[in-house]
Amino acid sequence: MNRTWIKTNTFHHKDFCDLNHLVALKRRKGLKISLCLPTLNEEKTIAKEIVIFKSELMSRHPLLDEIVVVDSGSTDDTRDIARTYGADVYRAADILPHLPPYTGKGENLWRALYVTQGDIIVYLDADIKNIHHRFAYGLIGPLLVNDHIKYTKAFYDRPIASVDKTIRPTGGGRVTELVIRPLFSLFFPELTQILQPLSGEYAGFREVFEQLPFPIGYGVETSMILDIYEKWGLDIMAQVDLEKRIHRNQDTKALGKMAFAILKTFINRKISLGMIDLKEELHDEMIQYRLVKGAIEPDIVQIKGVERPPIIELPEYRAKYHPPGAAR
Amino acid sequence: MHAYTDKLPEFVDVLRTMMDTIMTNTVLVGQVPAPTFEEQARVDLFLERLSEFGVDECTTDGFFNPIGILQGSSRSQPPIFVVAHMDSPFGKEVDHHYTVGKNTITGAGVLDNALGVGVLLSLPEIFRKLDLRFESDIILAGVIQSIGKGNLRGIRHLLKSWSTPIRGAVCVESGELGRLNYYSDGMIRCEITCHVDPAQERSQRFFPNAILILNEVINQIMALRLPLKPRTKIIFGTIQGGLKHGQIAHEATLGLEIRSDADTMVKEIYGDIRDIVNGLRHEYEVELILERVSNQRAASLRYNHPLVKAVLGIMKTLGLEPFSEPSESELSIFLSRQIPAVTLGITRGEGYQQTDATMQIEPMFKGIAQILGTIMAIDAGACDG
Repeated sequence: MNRTWIKTNTFHHKDFCDLNHLVALKRRKGLKISLCLPTLNEEKTIAKEIVIFKSELMSRHPLLDEIVVVDSGSTDDTRDIARTYGADVYRAADILPHLPPYTGKGENLWRALYVTQGDIIVYLDADIKNIHHRFAYGLIGPLLVNDHIKYTKAFYDRPIASVDKTIRPTGGGRVTELVIRPLFSLFFPELTQILQPLSGEYAGFREVFEQLPFPIGYGVETSMILDIYEKWGLDIMAQVDLEKRIHRNQDTKALGKMAFAILKTFINRKISLGMIDLKEELHDEMIQYRLVKGAIEPDIVQIKGVERPPIIELPEYRAKYHPPGAAR
Repeated sequence: MHAYTDKLPEFVDVLRTMMDTIMTNTVLVGQVPAPTFEEQARVDLFLERLSEFGVDECTTDGFFNPIGILQGSSRSQPPIFVVAHMDSPFGKEVDHHYTVGKNTITGAGVLDNALGVGVLLSLPEIFRKLDLRFESDIILAGVIQSIGKGNLRGIRHLLKSWSTPIRGAVCVESGELGRLNYYSDGMIRCEITCHVDPAQERSQRFFPNAILILNEVINQIMALRLPLKPRTKIIFGTIQGGLKHGQIAHEATLGLEIRSDADTMVKEIYGDIRDIVNGLRHEYEVELILERVSNQRAASLRYNHPLVKAVLGIMKTLGLEPFSEPSESELSIFLSRQIPAVTLGITRGEGYQQTDATMQIEPMFKGIAQILGTIMAIDAGACDG
C-alpha cells in the first residue's frame, strides 16, 4: 500500500498563488480551462462567485476561458443573475435534450462536459459563502505544474478537537467520517489519505472526466474517486488545502439521504469490480420517520442511483470533441 | 470646461467595464471583519491586494495604517492623499458574508466603508486602464481606528508623522453619492454611564434607578440654553440600560454629541454637562461618569475655494446633485492642518448602519469618476493657491 501519497500529492493553494506563472504554463501547454458551477436555487451566492472569478481569473489573469453555469431548474433568479454577470448559462435539461432529464448535481456535471470547451474542467459548488479565487487556482495549479497529475480535489479546515485539546483542522464532515472513511478503511485503505473525499470542489482533465460514469446525485464524488483509482491509480490524483469553506449546513435527515446514495454507489462499484456478491438487489427507497400530530409517519424518498455512462460513449459527444481524423 | 472634466463621461463608461474588479475588491475587503481596534486582518488584505495590483511601495506607517504610494512624474510637487477608513462598526460575531444581487451588494459594513476601501484598492488598476498619470505622488491610505472610539487616531497619526507638505486630499466614503463635505463642526462625543451598587438596594427604601438618573441628566441638559450663533446643538444618539421589566436598573448609558461651528462653544457646553453630571452624582450618591469618547475641531474650506468649485463643476458634468453638511470624518483632521480636502460618497444605498446594508452598483461608476476628477483637479493645481 502506498502510504506516501499524502506527502507527495498534498498541496496548499499558496503553492500556486503566482497566477502569472500559471497563465504562462497554460499558454505553453496550449490548454483551455473551463469553470463549471452546477446550481439549484443559488441566487444568494452565484453572482459573487462569478464576479470574483471573472475579475481575478479572466480579466486580470486569463487563467479561465469560460464560466459555465448548469442549472437543475432553479425557481429563483439564479439563471437570470448568472447571465447578468456574464456566465454562460444552461438549463441541464436543454443540454443533449433528447436524453431523459434527471435532477441532481452529477447530472449537471455530466451534461456540462458537452457544453464546456476546456481541456481542464473545474467544478465548484455554487453555495460557497466565502468564495475566493484560490478555490479555482488552487485546484488548477497541480494540473498545470505536474504533468502526471490529472485530477485534483479540495480539502478544507474543519476544526476538530484532538486528544491534547488543541484544535486541528483535519477530518471531513459527518458523512465522510461516519460512512466514507470506514468504508475506505475496510476496502481501499490507500484512499483514506484523501482527507475530504466528499468535497464538492475538484478539477481534472477532460480526458479523465469523459471516461467516467456519473451517478446523477450525491454519489458522484465517491464514484469519481473509486473509478479514477481503479482506472489510473492513486498517483494521478492530488488534494489541495483551500483553507476555510463556509456554506449552508445540512440537517441530519438530509445527510442520511446523502449517505444512502453514497453507500449505494459504493456497493454497486464493489459489485462491478467483483469484490462482493449480493444475493438480492439493493432497495431504492430511503425510509426515514417523522412525527406528525403525535403520530409517527414514514418519510420515504426514492433514490434510484441512476448513473450516466461515460460521456465518451455518446456518438454526439465523440463527434464534437473527437471527430474522426482529429489527433488525440 | 477643464481638462479634468472633459473626459469624465467617457471615464464612466470605462469604469463600467471594470465592474468585476471593483466589486471583487469591495467584497473581499468587506468580508474581513474590521471592528475598530481590530483591523489587522483587513490591513493585511489591503496590502496584499495593493501589491497584487502592482503598487511598488506598499507599507504601513508607525501606527499600522496601510499605505500604497503611486509615484508621480514631478519631484517638486507634494503628494495627494486619497484616504478611506478601514474600520467598520460591526464586530467579528456579525456575519460578514456579502450577497451580490442583480443591481446591489448587501452585507454588514458595505456602506461603511467596504466600498470606499474597495475603490481605493481599485484605483491603481483604474489609473492604468484610463492611462491617468499625475505630477504628484498619489498616497492611497487606509486609515485604522477612525470611527467611534477610534476618534480618528489613524489619520491623526498619519498626518502628524508625515514630514513633508501635502498638496490636497480626497476622503472616500461608500455613500451617499452627491455629498460634498468641505467643513467640519467642532464636536465632542461623550458617554454618560450611571452605575448603582446593587448592595445598596436592601438598605435603602428609595433605591436609585440608573435609568431615572440618566433621565434627570437629559432633563437638565435640555434646559441648557443653546445659542443660534454660533450654531450649536446637542444630539442624544444612544441609550441603553436595565436588565428586565420588573427590576430596577443598576446600569445605564447615554451617548451624545455636542456640535458647533465654534470650538469654544463645544467646550463651554461640555463644561456645563460635566457640572450637571457632578451635581447629580453628589445628589444621588451613585457612580455617574462622563467620558469623552472622541472630539474634533471645527475647520472648513471656503465655499469659493478652488477645490470646492472644481468638485462642484465635476459633479455638474456628471449630472450629480451636490449636498453639503458638516462631516466628522478624516476631513476634519486634514482641514485642521490647513490641508485642502473634501469628502465624497461613491454610491447610494440604504440601511447604512445595519447588518443588511445594501449599496446600489450602477451609481458607483459616476461616484468613482468624480473621485478621479477631483484627484485630477488637485493635480492641476486646485489646492495650490
